[in-house]
Amino acid sequence: MTQHLALPEKTLPQMLREQAQSHGDRLAIRQKDFGIWKPLTWATYFERAAQFGLGLQAMGLGRAGHLGVISENRVEWVLAQMGAGLIGAVTVGVYPTSPTNEVAYVVEHADIEVVVCEDQEQADKVLEAIALLPRLRRIVIIETKGLSSYSPEERERIVTFAEVEAAGADVWQRGDGRARVDDVLASQQMDDVGLMIYTSGSTGNPKGAMISWRNIRGVVPGIVERLQLTPDASHLSYLPLCHVAEQMLTTFVPVYMGSQVNFGESIRTVQEDLREVAPSMFLGVPRIWEKLHASISIKVQESGPWRRRAFDWALAQGAALVDKPRSRWSVLDRARHAVAYGLVLRALQNFIGLRKAHVALTGAAPISTEVIRFFRALGVPLVEVYGMTETSGMVTGQRLGEARPGTVGVPTLGVEHRIGDQGELQVRGDMVFVGYYKNPQATAATVQDGWLHTGDVVSEQEGQLRIVDRLKDIMITAGGKNLTPSEIENTMKASPFIKECIVIADARKFVSALIQIDYDTVGKWAESRRLAFTHFRSLVELPQVRELVAAEVSKGNDRLAQVAQIKRFHLLTKELDHDDGEVTATMKVRRSSIYKTYAAEIEALYA
Amino acid sequence: MSSGEGTVLDVNNTEVVYNKVVQVLRGLSLSVPRGQIVALLGSNGAGKSTTLKAISGLLPLEDGAMPAGQIVFDGQPTAGEAPQRLVRRGLAHVMEGRRIFEDLTVEENLVAATYACAGRRAAPRDFDAVYSYFPRLHERRKGLAGYLSGGEQQMLAIGRALVADPRLILLDEPSLGLSPKLVEEIFSIIARVNAERSVSMLLVEQNASVALAVAHQGYIMESGKIVIDGTAERLAADPDVREFYLGVGGSGEARSFRHLKHYKRRKRWLS
Repeated sequence: MTQHLALPEKTLPQMLREQAQSHGDRLAIRQKDFGIWKPLTWATYFERAAQFGLGLQAMGLGRAGHLGVISENRVEWVLAQMGAGLIGAVTVGVYPTSPTNEVAYVVEHADIEVVVCEDQEQADKVLEAIALLPRLRRIVIIETKGLSSYSPEERERIVTFAEVEAAGADVWQRGDGRARVDDVLASQQMDDVGLMIYTSGSTGNPKGAMISWRNIRGVVPGIVERLQLTPDASHLSYLPLCHVAEQMLTTFVPVYMGSQVNFGESIRTVQEDLREVAPSMFLGVPRIWEKLHASISIKVQESGPWRRRAFDWALAQGAALVDKPRSRWSVLDRARHAVAYGLVLRALQNFIGLRKAHVALTGAAPISTEVIRFFRALGVPLVEVYGMTETSGMVTGQRLGEARPGTVGVPTLGVEHRIGDQGELQVRGDMVFVGYYKNPQATAATVQDGWLHTGDVVSEQEGQLRIVDRLKDIMITAGGKNLTPSEIENTMKASPFIKECIVIADARKFVSALIQIDYDTVGKWAESRRLAFTHFRSLVELPQVRELVAAEVSKGNDRLAQVAQIKRFHLLTKELDHDDGEVTATMKVRRSSIYKTYAAEIEALYA
Repeated sequence: MSSGEGTVLDVNNTEVVYNKVVQVLRGLSLSVPRGQIVALLGSNGAGKSTTLKAISGLLPLEDGAMPAGQIVFDGQPTAGEAPQRLVRRGLAHVMEGRRIFEDLTVEENLVAATYACAGRRAAPRDFDAVYSYFPRLHERRKGLAGYLSGGEQQMLAIGRALVADPRLILLDEPSLGLSPKLVEEIFSIIARVNAERSVSMLLVEQNASVALAVAHQGYIMESGKIVIDGTAERLAADPDVREFYLGVGGSGEARSFRHLKHYKRRKRWLS
């Protein structure tokens, strides 16, 4: 793979122009629109991005100006991002699922001057907070539905995406547009900031991580080498593009490699889109894998006894061979696998759309090893990777073929690492971010002498890193024992019935937890036992459900040390929600907010 | 929700499949307390009428089957009971679209309904009780039912259900095709019947605001499942119900179509 390591010393926008020039006819992007996959070549990708950028320029967005994007993944997202890059501006993504106050916080804090909104819903959020956003000049709206309902003053601020593109196309055709873009690119420095990614903010307000072109250039070789990506790779982009994980596979890697990206119809059609695209790589967060796992389990339960038996048998065959390299399979192994594959696994892989995936990733949060084993047994090459916004993407990952569940593998190419005080992982390299926007104290605390303090406690086993927990999450009980809550929580979450588990132990006599059941699986379970319920709350309040969860908790407790065992728990009668500030846009639990909201319930556990 | 003294009807985890393939109800549970009006609301195709048909045993007529679940009426499971037996036990079903005998007179329609009284000691000889609620029917008792107006036909359909002195009436869209004034009239009669004769009612309606105005309890269903339940006052105040079923925005004023948004609030159905 050494040929990929010699990436040109160019910024992402420079690379985009390069791709357009060297193989402009190759397919860069496909966007599904009303059921039809519409292709976009590298040449059009570059041209449209440049025209949109010139349109922004005409609106007064200058070099180092800030462009916000609030949208689901779609071709306009990357056109806006690349367009901004081609005129030297900085892109800031905002979660389209964020409620108004969070959108307003990011737009205000990031000094966004022009914001691209997907539709009326996103534009309304910005307009609602417009009084707090003095720097904001224009709103660019992609979907024009409902545009006529805005008042004249509101309408004055709004332009459509197509109008901006058309204005840019004018400049482009008049002749000096290309020269303008070339000018910008000629003077673009590797150390210019290209992207700001706001952390999800599980402990406080989101922080804006500034990522330079050098950071992006620095992280790509490691990803390419570890995942063995080639220019022929294809990817389905569906996780939020304002998060670094999707950025690295939707923009960073494809623009350097010239590989293909697909945008599905919407976030709700991921399953169908996945089946149609059958991409060669797939990125999921644990929640996606858990959901897929649960939905397969439910489908299997609903099928007949013969099919169920066939599935169980095939899965057992797959599971037995997971840890054995293909070269060491016996004839019997091969025969068994062939039957299992032909009967069950192949169809299942087709069904979930991952038959052609030669690598599937999970990252961004811990995942239970059972889920990993399940997918590997199905024949999905699922590897765990680790990275963070501050490292511009993944910095460690399991190698294909030698993946040990529960670890995050070894550091990727170009990443230096060391283990600091209290077992904290520290990394150094080109991918370490520039700093937090308007927050030098936080930057100074995070990056010291070029070493990024990840805040994650790790242990190293035979060279493989294992993430223990967030340093600041480690709890000390009243008895003085150190506990790692995520270890306890993930042990519990391995149960299909438990969706969320929040441990309470800090300065307490024993460990307790708030538990949120998985509505689908517990609902199915209750129906199969003829327990009547009408909705989430009534399901939670069934005494049998409490017994079920108690049994699951005690099963989990058996795998934990005595001090870490959950002694009491409270079942949440409502699902945790982003709108209530209980989880972040990436569904990470906001501990402090939950401890505050459920203070009474928590005290009752210790009463 | 367990079947007890207080309820006249309990539906537990019911599933209904039409033609062996189309699953309409997916684990639906609800109960009707004695003497109360319970509203069952939902959009088109949510499975409201199917729920009523499952209760009154009419599914086989439409090639529907109930592979899972249990329905208990008045303390006894309804499984295997023919619809006419259920009617005699006091379960009346006023079907959507009224379904009166158009070629019979009003009174003959009511006489036909006394079939439901077969096996009782005293069948009613006159229909004073019905006519006291619906004076219009008395005026037109000799006329052909087919010539009645839509509202009068609806009155006849409800009156016919009252003949057998039922304990529970299933009402399927009584407001269908009626003018607002008539809707108000019919619903006030429904409320009176419930109050004076303590007949329980399960009311399926598209017109959520009138239904919640007369009902004590309400359930809202979406794709074959209950998503939220509660007292009628609570539902009428719930922001999701207001937005999706009552057509008013969060702030309370009725929405003008000019300001209609092209996106919907995310439904959360918090209970």
